[in-house]
Amino acid sequence: MKAIRASFFQMTMILRRDMMLFVCCLAPIPAGFFFRFAIPFLESLLTEGFHREAILSPYYKLMDILFAVLSPALFCFVSAMVSLEEADEKTAVYLFVTPLTKTGYLAARFGLPSAAAFFATCLLLPVFKLTALSPLILFLLAAGGALQGMIVALLVITISSNKLEGMAAAKLSMLTIFGAAIPFFLRSNLQYFLSPLPAFWIGKTVLQDSPLFMLPALVLSALWICVLLKGYLRKA
Amino acid sequence: MITVQNLSFSYTKSPFISDMNFSVSKGEIFGFLGPSGAGKSTLQKILMGMLRTYQGSCQVNGMECKNRTRHFYENIGVDFEFSTMYEKLTARENLQFFASLYEKKPRPIDRLLKMAGLEQDADKRVAAYSKGMKSRLNLIKALLHDPLLLCLDEPTSGLDPTNSRLVKDMILDEKAKGKTILLTTHNMQDAAELCDRVAFIVNGRICALDSPRNLIMSKGAASVTYTWFENGEHRASCPLEQISSDAQLKRLMAENRLQSIHSSEPNLNDIFMDVTGRTLL
Repeated sequence: MKAIRASFFQMTMILRRDMMLFVCCLAPIPAGFFFRFAIPFLESLLTEGFHREAILSPYYKLMDILFAVLSPALFCFVSAMVSLEEADEKTAVYLFVTPLTKTGYLAARFGLPSAAAFFATCLLLPVFKLTALSPLILFLLAAGGALQGMIVALLVITISSNKLEGMAAAKLSMLTIFGAAIPFFLRSNLQYFLSPLPAFWIGKTVLQDSPLFMLPALVLSALWICVLLKGYLRKA
Repeated sequence: MITVQNLSFSYTKSPFISDMNFSVSKGEIFGFLGPSGAGKSTLQKILMGMLRTYQGSCQVNGMECKNRTRHFYENIGVDFEFSTMYEKLTARENLQFFASLYEKKPRPIDRLLKMAGLEQDADKRVAAYSKGMKSRLNLIKALLHDPLLLCLDEPTSGLDPTNSRLVKDMILDEKAKGKTILLTTHNMQDAAELCDRVAFIVNGRICALDSPRNLIMSKGAASVTYTWFENGEHRASCPLEQISSDAQLKRLMAENRLQSIHSSEPNLNDIFMDVTGRTLL
């Protein structure tokens, strides 16, 4: 545990020296203000301008989901970037032959940041949410978001071999989050084509206000994480 | 300290390391010599617990490498051939971080930096270090937690003669403290100077294993080559142990007609080529 803690704090030290990554970690706060205040303001402008009752408000639940996934996705993106830098500098290989070991390394780089993101979401989402989410849904959303963040990070480090490729891979990986939007826009059974994405079930959970839909989301997340971890360990 | 029995390993269907057997005692410097791709790095990875799908037995400090726990690494220090430092951090910050991973109390960082001649550059970012400085820093990083076993991969590679001497002295100091050292190198001179025993590895097999001196003595005798002038320059040689029975040499010496004379001892490289039929590089 000592090695995992030391390695996690080492990552925070690296972050303090990298402005881009540091800003990424703080981004959920200004984003929260945007979601909470700018979107309703925009909605009032749009509804007045187009003389419609609602334009954006039917999608407020989707905005809450996107905000719930934002902190984990950004935290884990930052971890993935640090991890890719460690792969470039070969420090990761060295860390594997210390008491940290590969398992400890994964815990320090992806486990702890996901846990931190979970707590950050639990704190930020009640403040910045646009709809009335029940405490249970809020908790599940934070958990699902943390797992989604881990999936994004593992996708990035598994399919890319340096920081540059990582940036491109991150953009692609973030697309998996948009699975949450499908139930909002596709009402027919066609929507199930994207059901292998955990975010799809997170979308259904919030849209239908049914915590049961989180079960497939959690199972699928675990599967994705297992497969990606296997790929990463084979590569590392 | 290390016991390897019937070790086999494969990345694909065909065996990469086959039926390897050797042991290394506490306080010994054991060298792995072989051309690139011979299996030295793979063997080191197995010994460091990084590759665990091998057959046979491979024990380090009494622990089977495939069953290693995190405590296994408390007593192993690894110096890879390449730099494994955080480039954006200073040498001191790097060493402080790596020391914090171990349960053991670390060796004093300033003393280690001084040993490696890096005390003036301790607070410089590693990115600004030369290759030689990085190499020395890598070595002291492996010594931080005072491990019982050191795995060193080409520790003198890319160093100038002065720093190479410094590194070799540091290795010999560790041996004097009773540490066991595994040394992988292409440098035959280093191997001959530092190692108590060496193993020649080719195609995943150990072709020869003994002390450098025994290998040299068993495979080839020293010879004496001499030249003289007699209707043009002539050259002849004879084994060193038969020098007294070489009538021609005796005659030339008596007549003071020798133009040159020198002895040549086989070195590890000659023995390696003799045993394996290959060069090291």
